[in-house]
Amino acid sequence: MTKILFTDKLNSCVERWRSAGLTVIGPVQRSNISMYGAVKSASELDLNLVLTDRSIKELFFPQSEPMLSYTITKADINTLDFVPPAGPRIIFGARACDASGLAIDDPLFGWDYKDDYWFQRRNETVIVTIACTKADDFCMCTSLKLAPDSTKGSDILLRPLENNKGWQVEELTDRGREAFKTIADILQEGNDPPAATVTVPEKFNADACAEWLKNQENFDSRFWKEISARCIGCGSCTYLCPTCHCFDIQDEGGSFEGIRRKNWDSCSFALFTMHTSGHNPRSTQSARWRQRIMHKFNYFPGKFSANSCSGCGRCTRECPVDMGITETLQEISKLSQ
Amino acid sequence: MTENNHNAAQNIYKPAIMKIVGRHDEAPGVRTMRLEFQNPADHELFKETYRTGMFGLYGVYGEGESTFCVASPETRKDYIECTFRQSGRVTSALANADIGDLVTFRGPYGNRFPLEEFYGKNLLFIAGGIALPPTRSVIWSCLDQREKFGKVTIVYGARTVADLVYKHELEEWMQRDDVELVLAVDPGGESPDWKHRVGFVPTVLEEAAPSHENCIAVLCGPPIMIKFTLMSLKKLGFDESNVYTTLENRMKCGVGKCGRCNVGSTYVCKEGPVFTAAEVSRMPAADL
Repeated sequence: MTKILFTDKLNSCVERWRSAGLTVIGPVQRSNISMYGAVKSASELDLNLVLTDRSIKELFFPQSEPMLSYTITKADINTLDFVPPAGPRIIFGARACDASGLAIDDPLFGWDYKDDYWFQRRNETVIVTIACTKADDFCMCTSLKLAPDSTKGSDILLRPLENNKGWQVEELTDRGREAFKTIADILQEGNDPPAATVTVPEKFNADACAEWLKNQENFDSRFWKEISARCIGCGSCTYLCPTCHCFDIQDEGGSFEGIRRKNWDSCSFALFTMHTSGHNPRSTQSARWRQRIMHKFNYFPGKFSANSCSGCGRCTRECPVDMGITETLQEISKLSQ
Repeated sequence: MTENNHNAAQNIYKPAIMKIVGRHDEAPGVRTMRLEFQNPADHELFKETYRTGMFGLYGVYGEGESTFCVASPETRKDYIECTFRQSGRVTSALANADIGDLVTFRGPYGNRFPLEEFYGKNLLFIAGGIALPPTRSVIWSCLDQREKFGKVTIVYGARTVADLVYKHELEEWMQRDDVELVLAVDPGGESPDWKHRVGFVPTVLEEAAPSHENCIAVLCGPPIMIKFTLMSLKKLGFDESNVYTTLENRMKCGVGKCGRCNVGSTYVCKEGPVFTAAEVSRMPAADL
C-alpha cells in the first residue's frame, strides 16, 4: 500500500494549501508561453506538457531582481535591502530536470558568501515533482546521469498512475512531509501500480566528454570554431537554462535615488568579459561557446562535483540556429573515442 | 516587492559607505582617492580581513561598481586608497566626486601576497603604467616593516613622464638608501629634463640585471608587458614559482557567482587575483 493522490482531488489540495498560506505554483500557459506560474485552482495547471518553455529558475533567481534601493542626500547615503517577497510556496508539477537544476546551483550560491536572494526562496519553497511519462527528442537527462524520476532537488516525487487517475506519493524531505500533512486526509492508500516512466535514450557519454574537456590540448582545438560557427550569440540558451546562473549588476535610477538590480547575463554576449581597456579575454563567439561548454561540463563539476546541466534540453529545443549542448557533446563524444 | 531593512551582514551585495577624504591627480586621467569608512562595523571588518593584494568593488550609486585593487598597504588600515583611470561611467562618476562626497566600497575580496613567505628575501618589484597601484600596496606593506626583508629593488616604467603615477612617492623611494628605484619611460616619452632610463620595462629590467638569488619578483602590468617581462625574468634566472603577479578581469559580484572572471577553471575573484607565474602558465593562454 502506498499513498495515492487522485487527480480529481487535486483541486481540494490546491485549496487546502492556499488556505494554509502557501502560494501554489505550477505549469501554466501564459500568452502562448508555458512557464511555472501561481494558480488559484487546479484547473489552471497544465500537467500534460513534456516541459514548460521557461525553466523553474526564475522563481528563485528572477530575470531582474531589485537588491538594494538607495537614497542620497547631501549628508548621507541611505541603502535599504530588498528582500524577496516572503511566504511559503509549493510548486506542484515540477519536472525532475528543473528540480535537479536548483540543487545543482545551491553550492554555487552558497560557497563562502551566501546569496540570500536565492536561499530565502529555496528555503520557503516545497517542490513537488511529477515523474515524466513522456519526453521529446531534446530531452537528455539520462545522458547527465539523471532520470525522468530523479529525486534530486525535490521534496515530493509523484509517480503518475495509468490513465491519468492520479499519482503515487513519495515523500522525500521533511519540508515535503510537512506540506503533505495538510492534505493527509485527501490522500488515499492504494495498490495501483505507477505507469512506466519514459525511456530517454542516452545521447552522449558525459564521462568521455569530461575527459576530453579536461585535456588542455583540446582548449585550442579547431573543433570549437567549427561547432560554434552558427552561434549568433543571442543568449536564449542561457536564459532558458535551469542552471545558468551568471548575472550582471546594474543601477536603475539617478543620482539621488534608485534601485540596484541583479539581472540575468550570458557568457554568449561579447560584453560579458570585455575589459575597460578594450581587451576581451573571450573576444570571439567560439571562445564564448567554449566557455559555456567548459563551464558546464569541466569547471563547474571540478568545483561543485556536478555538471552544470540537468538535461532539460531547452537550450537545443529553442535555439534559433538549431545548435545546442546536445550536438556539441555528441561531437565531443565522437572525438573522444 | 516587499521592502525590509534587515541585517546588513546578510546581504552580500550591499556595499559600505565611504567618504572621500583626499584626492590627488597622478597623471592625465588618473586619480588617487583616499576613502574613510562611515560605519565603524564596516571598518572593523576591513581591518580584520584586508591583506595586500586583495581588491574591492568601488561604486557610485546610480552608475554602478568597478573593480580595482586596494592601493594602500595592509600596514595602514585607517583608510582605503584607490587609484584609477577615468574611462567609463563608474570611474567618471568617481572622478567627478569631491572631497567630502560619499561613495561605496564592497570588499576586500580575493587572495593576497603571502608576505610571510617573503621574509628574509630580496624583493624585486616590476610595474608598468597604471599597474603601479597594486604593486605599491605590496611595496609599502614591505617598506613599513623594512627589517623583515632583504634588498628592495623597484623597476617602474610608463609610456611618458607624465604617465608615471605616485610621483612624490617615487621621489621618496629615490631618496631612500634602502630602496633601489629604476625608472623608465618608453622611447619618445621622455621630457627634456628626464634623467632616468628610456626603454621598455623588459629591456630596462635586463639592463638592471637584478640577481635571482634568494629573490621574489612581484610583477604587475598590462598583459603584453607581463608576457615579455616574464621572458626577461626567465633569462635572469628567476624560477616561475618565485614570480608573483595579479590578474584583473571584469567582475560584477567579486564573490564567485556572476560567472565571468574565470581564466580556464580558475576564478580570479576567489582563487586570485594574486598568482605565481607558475600558476598563470598552467592556465589556458587563450583565455587570458
